[in-house]
Amino acid sequence: MSKKNADAIVIGGGIIGAATGYYLAKRGLKVFILERRFPCAGSTGRCIGGIRAQFTHDLTIRVMLKSIKMFQELSEELRTDVEWYAGGYLFLAFDEARKKSFEQAIEIQRRYGLKVDFISADECGRIVPGLNTEGLLGGAWCPTDGQANPFKVTYGYLEGVKRLNGKVFVNADVKKVNLSGTRVVSVETANGDQFFSPIVLNAAGPWAGEIGKLVGLEIPVKPDRHEALVTEAVERCLEPMLVDYRPDGCYFVQHSGTGHFIGCYTPVPIVPGDSVDASDEFITEMPRRMVRLLPKLASVKVLRHWAGSYEMSPDGNPICGRTPVEGFYVSAGMSGHGFMFGPALGELMAELITAGESSIDLSEFRLDREWSKAEAMK
Amino acid sequence: MKAKMKSVKKISKIRSGFRVVCRCEEVTEDEVRAVIRNGYHSLEEIKRILRTGMGHCGGRGCLKVIARLIEEETGIPIALQKFPSSRPPLKPIPLGQLGSYRNEQKER
Repeated sequence: MSKKNADAIVIGGGIIGAATGYYLAKRGLKVFILERRFPCAGSTGRCIGGIRAQFTHDLTIRVMLKSIKMFQELSEELRTDVEWYAGGYLFLAFDEARKKSFEQAIEIQRRYGLKVDFISADECGRIVPGLNTEGLLGGAWCPTDGQANPFKVTYGYLEGVKRLNGKVFVNADVKKVNLSGTRVVSVETANGDQFFSPIVLNAAGPWAGEIGKLVGLEIPVKPDRHEALVTEAVERCLEPMLVDYRPDGCYFVQHSGTGHFIGCYTPVPIVPGDSVDASDEFITEMPRRMVRLLPKLASVKVLRHWAGSYEMSPDGNPICGRTPVEGFYVSAGMSGHGFMFGPALGELMAELITAGESSIDLSEFRLDREWSKAEAMK
Repeated sequence: MKAKMKSVKKISKIRSGFRVVCRCEEVTEDEVRAVIRNGYHSLEEIKRILRTGMGHCGGRGCLKVIARLIEEETGIPIALQKFPSSRPPLKPIPLGQLGSYRNEQKER
């Protein structure tokens, strides 16, 4: 049992907690990050590392343009190679409805200066040599999207927190958040440690709802299971993240640094709950879908298959900002995009917490919003 | 298995240096020790930082050696260390082979 004082406590050692903690520490705050298990044990460590600005929600596009700018300079900022690589994102359209929805999205995206085009099937084939273009109408192509290594980024941020006088606690399972009136004052972990701070950020990802309950708040984040696999490393032969939105589609990318292929798909119907068990269906179905799209991958061997949680908000957009509990903030409900949002939302939330407002207004992501403006490019 | 672990410890006393503990990802003993000394005391964290256990062998070759290094550096006994989950398919299998299983099912 021990008592410890911080200027800000972050609950959660994934990308959101690590990045926000880092930018708070950079603003001079003494930051404690409390991680229930170990950094990247939750969604961040299970994600495939894609980074894109191709969204349909205006605010999301603006946040992602900022994030991509930050990823470009992140290796320097964090003094470690985070393996950022601008290989682009190619969203494939196999029917007219999908093509139209991409064209509409492109119109919105271009308003913010994003370099994005709807290209023909032949052009898709030039960007992805060996692509099976049968039935393909074309694709939404953005060359400035990319990828980075979630482990390198998250651990890089945490090392930065430590350099900036902060601390990272592992196996720190927050069980209680204490208030004085309507103001947060401290948190307690399962092993009895108490941490004092006037600021507490809930960055618990799939478990943000549980942390919210500790202060009587309902934070509507619900996890559902997504699975992923990684192959052995092979010679570089795929530049962009390929996204196939068909009901039996998939998305995958070749890791720029190592040459592994890594990918996943969204199950139909979704699998609710925070289980991260791997299914027999995925380990056979995902390879079928990958090889259908890129037949030359048939001989590439699968090394590992695992599952992780998408932490979904009701509209598929993040939940970021203040709460009715003074000093208690939330940044969760990333809905499968936490890694790519991480740098930008980390800095913006740090601005909001320290200065009272952020350089990009996040109020459309506030907790008490109407959940009607759904993201179409989930 | 016990005897094998012992011999690892013995060797490490003779000469600590440029020795590969993870062949798949080519990680040396010194690199592992440096990460442990930087405050990362679990196999899970070291896996995420150095990729040990993420190669073709799935950790069969390296994890026990690294657990021993953690014990040496921190005093945390191997028996109390949590090993990362084993991930299917355990041995590498080509995408085409896994995917064709599905196609055959569909044709039936």
